[in-house]
Amino acid sequence: MLKIEGLKKLYGRTAALDGLTMHVKEGALYGFVGPNGAGKTTTIKILTGLLLPDGGTVTVDGRDAQKEPGKVMEKIGYIPDFFGVYDNLRVSEYMELFAACYGLYGLNARKRAMELLEQAGLGEKEDYYVDGLSRGMKQRLCLARALIHDPAILIMDEPTAGLDPRTRYEFKEILRELKEQGKTVIISSHILSELSEICTDIGIVEQGKMVLEGSMDQILSQINVRSPLMISIYENREKALGILKSHPLVETITIRHNDIMVGFGGDRDQEAELLRRLIDEGVMICGFMRERGNLEAVFMQITNHDEGRVLLHEN
Amino acid sequence: MKINPVYRQETRISARSYRLPLIILLCNSVLALVALLDMYSMINRVKTTAEIQYSSFLSLYVFVASIEFIMLLLIVPALTSGSISGERERQTLNLLLTTRMTPADIVVGKLLASLSTVFLLIVSSFPILALVFIYGGVTAADMGVVLLCFSSTALLAGCVGICCSSVFKRSAIATASSYCVMAVLVFGTMALFQFAASLRGGAAETPDGTIWLLLLNPAVSFAAAIKNQMGSLPRIPLLDTWAGNSAQGMTAGQWLGLGIGAQLAASGLCLWIAVCQVNPRRKKRWIS
Repeated sequence: MLKIEGLKKLYGRTAALDGLTMHVKEGALYGFVGPNGAGKTTTIKILTGLLLPDGGTVTVDGRDAQKEPGKVMEKIGYIPDFFGVYDNLRVSEYMELFAACYGLYGLNARKRAMELLEQAGLGEKEDYYVDGLSRGMKQRLCLARALIHDPAILIMDEPTAGLDPRTRYEFKEILRELKEQGKTVIISSHILSELSEICTDIGIVEQGKMVLEGSMDQILSQINVRSPLMISIYENREKALGILKSHPLVETITIRHNDIMVGFGGDRDQEAELLRRLIDEGVMICGFMRERGNLEAVFMQITNHDEGRVLLHEN
Repeated sequence: MKINPVYRQETRISARSYRLPLIILLCNSVLALVALLDMYSMINRVKTTAEIQYSSFLSLYVFVASIEFIMLLLIVPALTSGSISGERERQTLNLLLTTRMTPADIVVGKLLASLSTVFLLIVSSFPILALVFIYGGVTAADMGVVLLCFSSTALLAGCVGICCSSVFKRSAIATASSYCVMAVLVFGTMALFQFAASLRGGAAETPDGTIWLLLLNPAVSFAAAIKNQMGSLPRIPLLDTWAGNSAQGMTAGQWLGLGIGAQLAASGLCLWIAVCQVNPRRKKRWIS
C-alpha cells in the first residue's frame, strides 16, 4: 500500500533521513516508533506532502508521490500532533470547511460530516464552537476531519499525547474500528505499550534509517527468544548451576536470590530438554519460564539503551 | 456554489467577529466627523463674510477622499499581514496544505477575504464622499476614478501584507514589515525622486528616470486622479508638484492609468512571492 525506498532529507549538513525504507501493507495498523530526532516527523511531513525529500521514492498504491502528488494526497488523511482549530467556527462548519477543501460541497459535505461526527461520538456537538471543546473531543474532531475525504491511509503523529486514560481507550477503539473498515493506519507514538496493544506491524527508525520492521508477532517472538530463562530453584541450587555452566547453549548466568536468570540460545524444544535434565539430576524446580519480550525492550535494545541488555549478561 | 473554502471560512469568521463592524464604524465616523466639521467651517465662513466660495465644497471632497486614502494605507496592511502567519501560528496552514487546496487557492482566499472587508469599507464610505454631489462640481465618473484608485491601493497594500505574512512566520513581524514596505512605496520613492532632483539643482519639473519609480507610489496616483479632477491642489501642493505637470509631457490621466497598471503588476509580484513562500514543495523558504 505504501512503500518508501531510500528516502533522504538533509537539514543543512545534518541528515534527518538517511536512506529510510518502509513498507506498509494494506489494512495494517503500523506503529512508527523511534527516539526523538530519529526522523519520524520528517518522514510524516514528506508523506503528507509538507516537505520535499532530497532523495528516494514514496509510492502510495502504486503512484509516485513526487510525480502525482495530488492523487497521492487524496489517499492520505493526516492527524498532526496539534489540533489546528479556528476560533469562532462551529464543529459542523469546521468539517464542512475541510470537506470543501477536498471538493465536497453542499448536502454531500453536510451528510459526510454528520456521518463522521457520529462515528467520532461528536454528533450532538455539531453546533458547538470548536475552541470550546475538550482536548479529547478536539482530537476526535481531528480524526473525523482527516477522514472527510475517505482516505485509504491515515497518518497520525502522536495521536494520544495529552489525553486522559478513558479518552485514550476510546481512541484505540476507534482505531480498531477503522482497521475493521479496511483503512491502513500509520501511528507515530512514544507510548509503546499502547502501540503493542493495537498495532499489527511496527517499524523502528533511528538516525534516519529503518532499523527494524515487521509484523508485531514476528518481532515479539524474535525478542522472546533473546529474553533470559527465569529458573526458580527450590533445592539443589549448586547442582543446577553446575549443569547450567556445562550446557553448550547457556550464554550467561545471573543469580538473584533463589532465582537464576539464564541467557539461553536454544529454542522451545531445547528449553524443554534443559528442564527435563535439571529435574532428572534431582534439582527441585518451582519455576521455569522465559521472560516475555515487549515493545519497550525491543525499542531499548535497538536504540542502544542498555537497560534491556542487562539481563543478557552476568552481573 | 463552489466558493473558495478559505475565503468562505474567513468571511464567516470575520462576520462573527466584532472587528469588522468596529472598523467600519470607526472609519466612517472619522470620515463623517471630518466632513461635517469642514462643512460647518464653510457655512460659518459664509455667515461671517456673506461670500460663497463654491471651490470650498470641492476641497471638502478632496479632503475627505484624502483622509479615506490615508486610512486605507493604514488599515489594509493590518488586515492582511496576519493572514498567512496567523494560519501558521494556529497551525492550520499545514492542515490546509495537506488537502486538495493549492497554495495559490489559500493565498487568494485569504486576500479576497481581507479585500472584501476593505471594499465594504470603501462602499460604506461612499455616502460621505458623495456629500459633494449636494453642491456639484464632481461627476459620478470622477468619483468612480477615485474609487478605482482606492481599489488599486487596497489591492497593492493587501498583496504587500499577504506577501510579508507569508515570508515572516510571526504576525507582529509581518505587520511591521508590511508597514515598512508601504512606507518605502509612499515616502521612499518620493524621497528618492526628490533626492535625484536635488542632485540636479532642485529641478523637479524636469524629471529624470527616477520619476518612473513614482508609478509604484499609490499616493502619487491618487494625487494624479484628484489633480485631473480639480486642476489644482491647494491643500497638498507637494503632491501636485510630484505628480507633475506631468512627467515628461504626460497628462495626469495617463499617469493615473500607468500608475494603476504598475501597482497591479507590483501586486501580482507580491502575490506570486506569497504563493511560492506558502508552497511546501518549494526547495527552500527565503526566511524560515
